[in-house]
Amino acid sequence: MLRVEEVSKSFDGFRAVHQAHLSVEAGAIVAVIGPNGAGKTTLFNLITGVLTPDRGRVLFEGVEISRQPPYEICRRGIARTFQIANIFPRLTVFANVQVAVLAHERQSLNLIRPARTLAVRETTSILEGTGLQHKARRLAGALSHGDQRILEIAIALGSQPRLLVLDEPTAGMSPEETAATMALIRRLARERGLTILFCEHDMEVVFSVAESIMVMRQGRTIVQGPPDAVRQNREVQEAYLGTSHA
Amino acid sequence: MRQGIGESRSRGAVAAVLATLLLLPVVLPVFYTYIAALILVTALLAMSLNLVLGYGGIYQFHHAVFYGVGAYALALTVTKAGLSAWIGFLAGPLAAAAAGCLIGWFCVRLTRLYFGMLQISLGSLLWIIVLRWYPVTGGDDGIHGIPMPSLLASPTSVYYFILAVVALCLVVLYRVTSSPFGATLQAVRDNPQRCEAVGVNVRRHQLVAIVIAAGIAGVAGVLYVALERSVFASMLFWVLSLEILVMCLLGGWFTFAGPIVGAAIIVALRTFVGRYTENWTMILGIMMILLIFFMPEGVMGFLLDRLGRRPSAVEEEALAYPAQTAGKGG
Amino acid sequence: MDLSVVGSQLLVGLSRAMILFIVSAGLSFVLGVLRVPNIFHGSLYMIGAFSAFSIATWLGGQSTGLWLAMLAAPVVAVAIGMIVERALLAHLYRREHLMLILFTWGVMLILNDLVKLAWGPTYRSIMPPAALQGSASLLGIALPRYNLFLLLIGPLVAVGLWLFTQRTRIGKIARAAAVDQEMVAILGINVSRVLAVAFLVGCYLAGLGGALVAPTTSITLGMDHSIIVDAFLIVTIGGLGNIWGALVGALVFGVTQSLGLLVWPQFAVVFPYLTVVIVLLLRPRGLLRSVW
Repeated sequence: MLRVEEVSKSFDGFRAVHQAHLSVEAGAIVAVIGPNGAGKTTLFNLITGVLTPDRGRVLFEGVEISRQPPYEICRRGIARTFQIANIFPRLTVFANVQVAVLAHERQSLNLIRPARTLAVRETTSILEGTGLQHKARRLAGALSHGDQRILEIAIALGSQPRLLVLDEPTAGMSPEETAATMALIRRLARERGLTILFCEHDMEVVFSVAESIMVMRQGRTIVQGPPDAVRQNREVQEAYLGTSHA
Repeated sequence: MRQGIGESRSRGAVAAVLATLLLLPVVLPVFYTYIAALILVTALLAMSLNLVLGYGGIYQFHHAVFYGVGAYALALTVTKAGLSAWIGFLAGPLAAAAAGCLIGWFCVRLTRLYFGMLQISLGSLLWIIVLRWYPVTGGDDGIHGIPMPSLLASPTSVYYFILAVVALCLVVLYRVTSSPFGATLQAVRDNPQRCEAVGVNVRRHQLVAIVIAAGIAGVAGVLYVALERSVFASMLFWVLSLEILVMCLLGGWFTFAGPIVGAAIIVALRTFVGRYTENWTMILGIMMILLIFFMPEGVMGFLLDRLGRRPSAVEEEALAYPAQTAGKGG
Repeated sequence: MDLSVVGSQLLVGLSRAMILFIVSAGLSFVLGVLRVPNIFHGSLYMIGAFSAFSIATWLGGQSTGLWLAMLAAPVVAVAIGMIVERALLAHLYRREHLMLILFTWGVMLILNDLVKLAWGPTYRSIMPPAALQGSASLLGIALPRYNLFLLLIGPLVAVGLWLFTQRTRIGKIARAAAVDQEMVAILGINVSRVLAVAFLVGCYLAGLGGALVAPTTSITLGMDHSIIVDAFLIVTIGGLGNIWGALVGALVFGVTQSLGLLVWPQFAVVFPYLTVVIVLLLRPRGLLRSVW
């Protein structure tokens, strides 16, 4: 479904991502792991069009998307969340999700009809699916941190994606919240037939959820494979444990 | 249910204001009718700015240009092309919208302060052309005694004409702000990056907002000509842009009606305080500073807060959604 | 076209650019360190010019009086600026830019009326000090001595500012605060005091610009309006908050303005604005690195 081929990106000579590659099969849950500064977020920004790669290309369902703007990539079926809660703070929770649904339904430039009559059913169903329906009338900026992270996922669902890219969906959450969020993500993936690509710090979470894991280090792909294969990989062991031995 | 009451209450308020405005020329002397008309025109101008500023979060620092372009388009249609003023009334807003499209097309490539500065430069270019192109624009003398149709001969009929057009434009603006485009525009204001990520072409939305706002500023411009029968180069000067920006902030830029209040305050202050002292701008300055310290959401934002309403008319709008769905569901 | 005409026009443009630079550098410094788009910077410039006139007149209008006026006038601007900063602005640093624009414009309106009350609406003018009167020749081009003096002062101010930000402790802290205020606060430094000093420098430069421009122009109400937009545009094309950017921006602005006079006198003012448009379209964040 998604193929990242030898993608590189430098900032002022610093190689944030260097010849990284990644492949995501339809329906899979794929994780990207790596130490801080390994280039995970940069990689996600390259996939979703926030950044343009210096070299290499990104293919989604066989079409090259590496030089398209973010909104174009979203319309092709890739939605994402961000590492820091990235919501619309002055809008209600309902409107936060509705904006995404309206954009998906190509209604954002509609100047005539009142917004309150449009995209209501879909928005409500997403809010119910993520458990935010009771907070629909609150201002998004007034939500708790945990709820804002969930709202981020709900906004992404509003774009009706086939591939959902999650940048550290559980960052800053308590263990209970983390477990609940991961359960939510798995349920949504199942119910909506989503493919999931996410990156995460918490190894326990990654190895219990992901079907395929890609390990990054200093901007490079070390390995990608099923959890067991990754666990046994010598280079990975060195990357995570080996520095003290060396 | 509370929504229903709130809505009918604001409908009542709108009806009361409209009735008062309709009666004004009957009860007040001509001078006050003139001031009321001037407030209406200025309020429309400030409202049009607030579409991009308050709803779109766009640093539209030189909005007065579109007001001036609208006014000059009407003036030139009548005095140079010799056409009917009615054609000019259409040409003004169209010319302003075209100017908005041109200037906006360049500006949306930049963000925030950079956007504002580029707009000031582009707007100043237009201002200089108007100021220096004597044979056509009359330079800093402006154009005076622009003939108007006989229908607009008396101050009262001019007032009603302005009231009707302003009311119509406010309905249009209200519809736009509560449309999907309006909702998306506010999302762009809150978080452009997130908007791009959900499939919104941010620049295109900003450009559309600028064109609509410029067109309505152009309407305000032609109404000014209907009232004053004159145009001045200072209508395109940046000081006026700053003044309308202040009207929005003063009245409350996160509320629908805030700019009207801001415009009324500034026009009234200039007219009535200006009569007693040459230094009325000092009083305006002191008011602005007090406001920043004590009413950061503007006068309307402050009042709505006091009345227990949300600071934004838009959010009130959004509040109606779940009620709607609940109604459908059960 | 006569080459010496172009040359002298270029030199006039450059000396005008020095005034623009001094004013813009102050604006840029305040914008960079305090994040305040200070609209009443233009008022301080006007106050600097009026003060120079008053001090010079009070001291008898002789050469020493004129020199002293140049030195003392910026102090008046600093005093007024610091009253506003300590009493009001210091409480507003965390506000949105639009609110700060509203605030500083409010101050500009008040200062404008105060100037009107203090000096009245009439035109004023002063002479340059005797040593700087008349003209001298540079590279075979005759130029007023005062303009040559400005050409010397501009680079001196630039170097002085550079030394201040690079070599003094408070300057270094101000530079760090421009990038990350919270980090500076964590280091146990009184940020408010640093911001006040940065603001003081900005006010001084506005007043100095006003004092320096006084002998070359008629001192009048409305000087604040005519300088402030130009200064903001210069700061923007140079790169917000970058002092050297202000220098480059001022040079570009001043030179296009004066050369434009040769090309198309009636529309000469168009050229600097046109330049700004082109620069911003080609380099949306200004010519040099912005601290924003």
